[in-house]
Amino acid sequence: MKVKMMSRNPDNYVRETKLQQHKLPRNYDPSLHPLEGPREYVRALNATKLDRVFAKPFVCNLSGHRDGVSCFGKHPKLLSALATGAYDGEVRIWDLANRLSVRSFVAHNGFVRGIAYAKNGERIFTVGDDKTIKVWNSLAPEVGEEEEPVNTVQSRYGLHGISHNRKDNSFATCGEVCAIWDEQHNDPLKTLKWGVDTLHTISYNPVETNVLACCASDRSIILYDQREAQPLRRVVLTMKSNKLAWNPMEAFNFTVANEDCNLYTFDTRKLQTPLKVHFDHVSAVTDVDYAPTGREFVSASYDKTIRIYHAHQSHSRDIYHTKRMQHVVCVAWSLDNRYIFSGSDEMNVRMWKSNASEKLGIIRPRERSNFNYQEALKEKYAAHPQIKRIARHRQVPRHVLNAQRKMRAVKEKDQVKEGNVRKHSKPGRVPYVSEKKKHVLKEEV
Amino acid sequence: MEDGEEHHNPKAHKKLLMAIGSFGNIQHIQKSTRDERQTLQDEFQLGKSVRSAESHHKPRAVVLNDLVQILRTSSKHIKTGRKLKNIQSTKKVLEKPLEKPAADRIRRTIGYEGVTKKLGRWDAVVAQQRSAETQIFPIPSETIYVNTAAHAKSLKTSIQSALAKELEASKLKLHELRKAQIGDTADEKALAQQERELRQKKITRDELFARRKELAYLKMRESQKSAKSRMQNKIKSKKFHKLQKRQKIHEQMKEFELLQKTNPEAALEKLNALEKIRVQERASLRHKNTGTWAKNLQMRAKYDRDVRKDLAEQLAVGRQLTEKKQESDSETEFKMTQDVHEEEDKEYDPFNPWTKRKEAGKAPTEKAGSHVSNWRKYWTERNQKAKFLEEHRKDLKDVQHVENVDVVEEKLKSDPKPKPSMKKVKKSKVSFENGWEVEKVYHESNVTGESKIIDNIFEGREEKLRAKLTKKLENLKLRTDRLKKAPAKSKKVKKDSLKNLKDLAIKMTKQRVEVDEPLYYEIESQQQVDAANMESDPEVAVDSAVDIIDLSKVTTLVWAQKERSSGALNDALVNDDDAEYDEKDATTLHQLTISQAFEDDDIIADFNREKTKDSEVKNTELQLAMPGWGSWAGAGISQEVMERRNKRNTRLLLRLAAPEKRRDDNKDNLFINETSTKHARQHMVSSVPFPFRSLADYEASIRAPIGRNFVPETAFRMLTRPSVITRKGQVIEPMDDSDLVKPERRLRHIVDKRIKRLPKVPQNSQKAKK
Repeated sequence: MKVKMMSRNPDNYVRETKLQQHKLPRNYDPSLHPLEGPREYVRALNATKLDRVFAKPFVCNLSGHRDGVSCFGKHPKLLSALATGAYDGEVRIWDLANRLSVRSFVAHNGFVRGIAYAKNGERIFTVGDDKTIKVWNSLAPEVGEEEEPVNTVQSRYGLHGISHNRKDNSFATCGEVCAIWDEQHNDPLKTLKWGVDTLHTISYNPVETNVLACCASDRSIILYDQREAQPLRRVVLTMKSNKLAWNPMEAFNFTVANEDCNLYTFDTRKLQTPLKVHFDHVSAVTDVDYAPTGREFVSASYDKTIRIYHAHQSHSRDIYHTKRMQHVVCVAWSLDNRYIFSGSDEMNVRMWKSNASEKLGIIRPRERSNFNYQEALKEKYAAHPQIKRIARHRQVPRHVLNAQRKMRAVKEKDQVKEGNVRKHSKPGRVPYVSEKKKHVLKEEV
Repeated sequence: MEDGEEHHNPKAHKKLLMAIGSFGNIQHIQKSTRDERQTLQDEFQLGKSVRSAESHHKPRAVVLNDLVQILRTSSKHIKTGRKLKNIQSTKKVLEKPLEKPAADRIRRTIGYEGVTKKLGRWDAVVAQQRSAETQIFPIPSETIYVNTAAHAKSLKTSIQSALAKELEASKLKLHELRKAQIGDTADEKALAQQERELRQKKITRDELFARRKELAYLKMRESQKSAKSRMQNKIKSKKFHKLQKRQKIHEQMKEFELLQKTNPEAALEKLNALEKIRVQERASLRHKNTGTWAKNLQMRAKYDRDVRKDLAEQLAVGRQLTEKKQESDSETEFKMTQDVHEEEDKEYDPFNPWTKRKEAGKAPTEKAGSHVSNWRKYWTERNQKAKFLEEHRKDLKDVQHVENVDVVEEKLKSDPKPKPSMKKVKKSKVSFENGWEVEKVYHESNVTGESKIIDNIFEGREEKLRAKLTKKLENLKLRTDRLKKAPAKSKKVKKDSLKNLKDLAIKMTKQRVEVDEPLYYEIESQQQVDAANMESDPEVAVDSAVDIIDLSKVTTLVWAQKERSSGALNDALVNDDDAEYDEKDATTLHQLTISQAFEDDDIIADFNREKTKDSEVKNTELQLAMPGWGSWAGAGISQEVMERRNKRNTRLLLRLAAPEKRRDDNKDNLFINETSTKHARQHMVSSVPFPFRSLADYEASIRAPIGRNFVPETAFRMLTRPSVITRKGQVIEPMDDSDLVKPERRLRHIVDKRIKRLPKVPQNSQKAKK
């Protein structure tokens, strides 16, 4: 009998060092993989499930404030620094890496209304209910020294918000009027006024740095150019806008957090209709902040939740909440696109992961490639019902669900009524109005 | 009273009145003084402006007319007064400025427009970012390279200087040696000077730019010229080329004459070149009316005067080209040959080209060998025969003239006798030219009938062409009309401020599913229970996923759906599609062979039977009655009675339910297996998801595997590249001006502007050049 020996070249399967991975000769001939589709589908399913299993977005709680947190200030250069202001006038500077409050001082009598870092992060500007703008050094004072502002500016008008220009030394405050200030002067360079209503939030465009926008209590959004003597334009919505955030990557887009549970993304050049209406919150939206990539934003709401939206989609991608988190007042997205900070009524600042199931810490290349593969699979099979169901399944507090139910009922009722009215009136009398157009009352020139 | 009047000082009185009048207007609050600059004045810090005492009874404003009136009083100023009046009547008064709200509105709109324009700059970048397959943050910025070498100081170490010294010394030695040995007379000083100058002659940056621009300009001109010449070569008009060639020759002649005066050597070279051309022409069969073109023309020459003319011209060209142009150069030789050709010369008719041609035809045989020595002679006798060249030029002119006359003559000849003369000319040709020409003529005479037919055909073609042309023209007109109308319509369309952004949006190469739906919510309090459910649920899901993969169950479904070419979406999930499509072909083939093999069997009937199988079962009535039941009375009860009784008795008759209506009832060759897909269905996509427009697109996006096991490693890396890449611990700055597409630099230099204004060289010509 002839015995045929099987001989293989050991180079093909023996690794040279212990650290090397085993060589796995593969044959990519598709006829040898008849079930590649189903296999990938199962992998995608498993990846989605694992994603939900590991979805633990809450990182830590920064406690220390003795009153509700009112505003955030992001350091433009340092990722580990965050300034927060509270209702009792206290400002705290946090070391996020160590989850510590490194510095705290009482800045104002009454609320701290706004905090802004200067363009290089050396100074902190705070405005409060006491009509003052205070300038602080971003470095903590020496051990023996007292905490004192570098400069205090008494404003003629009430102040509700502050925003610093990203590129030059000017900053802007809002209140009774919109005022443009220079860091070197104690008087505003310019005051811009349109109407008599209070402006409660202001925001500089981070890209086109001469443009800024305010939200007024008469439900309007006003655009300004800091070089012009006059405001530029005003849009009036059906309800008051609470906060405004510019897209850092798309200079002409901004999003407002509205009192009517929605967020609206506008294009500055076309203010008659918002580009997108972002639904899903069940109570007034209090704050909004863009991710530095400009693809997503986070919103805080009075309904005690935070939601993350794609900038061009109308429904939220994720919802964050904890049992103890009360009305969320302010929210910020860290400049490395990894974390989200939320400040709420119950005196806590919370830190979340921007991607709920992301692994923190060092990720090895193999791990990375596997994560990438899983991501790609999830994306590929995103439309499949089982995967969609698992990926979008969320537990929410009962009150949110109830409110949602209520809102849905109201909406359905309205729709039915509108339908009935339409049915019983002359055709064409009751027009179909798109959801986008419903919320903008007028654009004033 | 009088006393009072005396005392009355009008000035003082007025002052007093003024003081009393302005009593209430005294400014109590002083204007605040600030050292800080201020744009807005506070209302509290503003004092009231002091009104004048007369403000109560407003004085009439002084009008120009008053002035004129005053001027009229003196005769000196009447003229000026009139002038003033004139001015007043002719010049317009400026309009009242707008009300503040209106003016503000205008200012606001202007400002807004400016800002929108500013923001519009970002359109391209944003569109590009949106459509990018992977976005990397922070956005990779432009890197600036600084030439640090330019600022580097030269090393001044002792070693180097020593080395340099040594080198220099050795160099010097070398030079001396050279001087001594070879007698190298190169002036070192001069050389050094030259080198220094070269080194000093640094070009400034602007000069460099200008030079480069100029070079580019020249290159462009060159390419333009080449393109032009290429285009001209493409022109099919014979006449054009003829003229072109003639012009070229003319120019060459002129050039030659000029050269003779200025640079005789070059002239000689040119002459030789000309001679060479002549030789080549003689050697070739060009311009001898032997080409296809000439042959074709000869067919038509009989009837067409122009054609005849063309042919004659062609011959003339040949003659001209083969003409010996330097008879004068070699006069001695010419004289020698003159004797030989004495008799022929007698016959020689200066206006007869044919005779001349014959002579020329013979001459070169002798001259071919001698023409190399010609130029040497020329070279040696150049100084003596300076005048001779002029003569030669005259000769040339004469020759040209003669030729022209020839052509004219021929025309004259051919003109009066249109048809018969043709033959004559041909025959005359025969006498001078080669034999084959004669044959041609005979041939032609035979072919006349055919040519007529050809002519007819041509005419028909022409008519058709004309008809086509008119049609096309009409179409074009219609289209242009439509185009003209179109803009009028588009004017009505509202201006979309985001149009640019939309236009710039590029279709993504790799589309991704966008799920824009509300999340699926559940109450948190049930979390534990749900978690447990979830735990169990996945297994079920996995099981079912396995279920679908069971091919035995799926095959019928697949087959049935393939026939309908829809619902293929689902089996995209179930099976690998690439393989499947092949499979499909295979199955159809397979089926064909089967059907051929079992031609006699009725497969379709079998299929239908299978389809109705379960329904048959369902639609029956089962007789439960056993034989003998109900017939206790014995045999002999009629069958009818029995049946009636059985029908009435429902206990003994089991009626099965009517079959359910099948989805494929009316479709003959379709079998929908409704039982097999139950588990798989929950894993299948029911509709085409959002960004995809067609099923095929979506299937294509899902079909290809991306896993390591199925595709090579590099492909795997490419396919699984995330859409957003960020780096840990790096601040992502907002978009910066440096990411913008830069506008074109404004050109200052004249040359630059000129270059800018130049029309671009058409692309195809550039390609052709390459």
